[in-house]
Amino acid sequence: MKNRPNLFTDYRKESSIFPNNTQRFWFVILIISSCTFPFFLSSYWKLLITTSLLTAIACWGLNIVSGLAGQINLAHGVFVGIGTYVSAIIGGVATSSVIGYELDMIIWLPLSGLAAALVGIIISPVSARLKGLNLGLVTLALVFIGSHFFSNLKFITGGAGLGRKAATLKFLGQDLESGIQVGSLLLEKNDIIYYFSLFLCIVMGLGVKNLTRSKIGRAFSAIRDRDIAAEALGINLFKFKMYAFALSSFYAGIAGSLLFTIAGGVEPGTFNLLYSIIFIAIVIIGGAGTVLGPLFGAFFFTTLPGIIQAILHATGLSDTGFFLNAGEIERIVFGFFIIFFLIFEPRGLWGIWFRLRNYFKAWPFSY
Amino acid sequence: MITFLQATFEGLSLGAVYSLVAIGFVLIYKATDVLSFAQPALVVVGAGLISALAVDRGVPFWLAFFLGILITGLIGLLMERTFLRPMVGEPVFSVAILTIGIDILLRTILNNWIGLNPRYLGDPFQSFGNFGSVNLNGVTLKYLEIAALFTGIVLIILLSIFFKRSKYGVAMMATSFDQEAALAQGINVGRIFGLVWLISGVLAGFAGFFITGGFNTLTQASFLSALRVLPAVAIGGLDSIPGAIIGSLIIGLTQGYVAYYQLSIEGIIGFSLGSGFSLIAPYLIMFFILIFKPDGLFGTEEVERV
Repeated sequence: MKNRPNLFTDYRKESSIFPNNTQRFWFVILIISSCTFPFFLSSYWKLLITTSLLTAIACWGLNIVSGLAGQINLAHGVFVGIGTYVSAIIGGVATSSVIGYELDMIIWLPLSGLAAALVGIIISPVSARLKGLNLGLVTLALVFIGSHFFSNLKFITGGAGLGRKAATLKFLGQDLESGIQVGSLLLEKNDIIYYFSLFLCIVMGLGVKNLTRSKIGRAFSAIRDRDIAAEALGINLFKFKMYAFALSSFYAGIAGSLLFTIAGGVEPGTFNLLYSIIFIAIVIIGGAGTVLGPLFGAFFFTTLPGIIQAILHATGLSDTGFFLNAGEIERIVFGFFIIFFLIFEPRGLWGIWFRLRNYFKAWPFSY
Repeated sequence: MITFLQATFEGLSLGAVYSLVAIGFVLIYKATDVLSFAQPALVVVGAGLISALAVDRGVPFWLAFFLGILITGLIGLLMERTFLRPMVGEPVFSVAILTIGIDILLRTILNNWIGLNPRYLGDPFQSFGNFGSVNLNGVTLKYLEIAALFTGIVLIILLSIFFKRSKYGVAMMATSFDQEAALAQGINVGRIFGLVWLISGVLAGFAGFFITGGFNTLTQASFLSALRVLPAVAIGGLDSIPGAIIGSLIIGLTQGYVAYYQLSIEGIIGFSLGSGFSLIAPYLIMFFILIFKPDGLFGTEEVERV
């Protein structure tokens, strides 16, 4: 029995988060190796990876509402923005133009998630009323209404084009802005954000994985597959769609609260339509409805600029005056990836990984 | 009263322009089940092509105008052939996201070309009369807006004749009604799909000129004006051509009235609505109409079976 990892004798074991020892082993390896990253990566790549971890959290949020529960949400960026600004109000520094209370991280981190979740709950009755594309269009309206609020609530956001400083990092009274000394090791601010993001990413990722096997997760899948049938099975659509939106926005809010502490400031114009679309594209490229997919997608999207920069430098294209700059090449590559993944690999990066894994699992046999 | 007439006129002309793009949207949605988010980008492509031909290359304006619109139509056709044909039968949402991908491609290249300075389209409208406008009993009518209203009405009449009388128009109606039945009747559905995208592209090209022509100029933000067609389509119902026209008029008029009356409205309700409110008013209207009528004002209600 011990040497048959795929033989399950009870349902509980089969549906556990890590069903066999191989997965447990690789998970531990992954965590340990991620903990060592800050010691040998350049600061540029460290920032990219931190951003990917946080983006992955936001994408898991979108994955809950769109991938698991099947409700189209084009306004995910707005929820990220709400998280950012709530954290900036509670944890940020007050100036003559914006408010801020400089409170502890332990207060603003959960509160920014909860505030976003609250907005999600307020929005969710719309999804009970509308379906499919019309829901998508209404959430599109939310993007514009949201950006209007962001650029006009000047005492919170600092106004369009100006922006404000993000929340300050202060954890349990310890000021993290200038780094902390652990023994002989000095952890800089970016290292601290990295470890914090890593920790959150692991916790939130396990949370999603756990959600997919829980009663709520199964209800979400039922709603996605056929909402009328789900209702006939006794699933309260209104309630579960509300859960989906609340959870999704919670993830977005948590991600948003930390995402802009890296750069230190945030401008309300950031949360435009493209920003929201990026999240959808990441989920699609990564693989909708899976747990690993958004993680792959987030890493892929965030490290894309780094990869493109490296290629441009290697080929010398950046010096020869190519008619597109790096940012534009990045966006074009991104657009092409959306199109090609939808046409050729609708299951996304996760689908590629899945096939690769199964190929090597059965190697040398084809199945 | 004069302000009211002014706002109404501007709103109607704007609505006529929006309705052109909106009809394109509805045609595509009805015939191919694609909600094309790339349409606003096509609008800007049309304007960009006209500007590139007329101003940069020095082609006579009217030639550039028609060439630009025709090429926009062909780009629409090309998009369908290359990216959307493999997606026939896929879930509506996936295809909609795919058109967002196309939209990102088109807009990135266009924004790079437009640059930071506004571009003119080289049209003669701004030189007519008093800086392109005529004063009628205190109401300022821009020649460009008169032309937009006129073109909108003419094109809508032409299209309705095309759908009722011509062989391809009837085939198009049949295809949007039932693709398989149309196939069984010997209609080349693939060709119809191409034709639909061509027509939508041409309509987008026309709208592109009227949105960015004259002193409006083509900037990187022109895309946002074109995007306001989406609420118009959603209000009217995604599958209704009369709905698209009426939705566009509602959106155009709202934008016109809010732009002129925002100050007095703010005076009545007692708080500021914020700058640029007229630009998001269409989205607010769409939000509320869709909540009360989920399929839009004229859309057919979807009947579902388990």
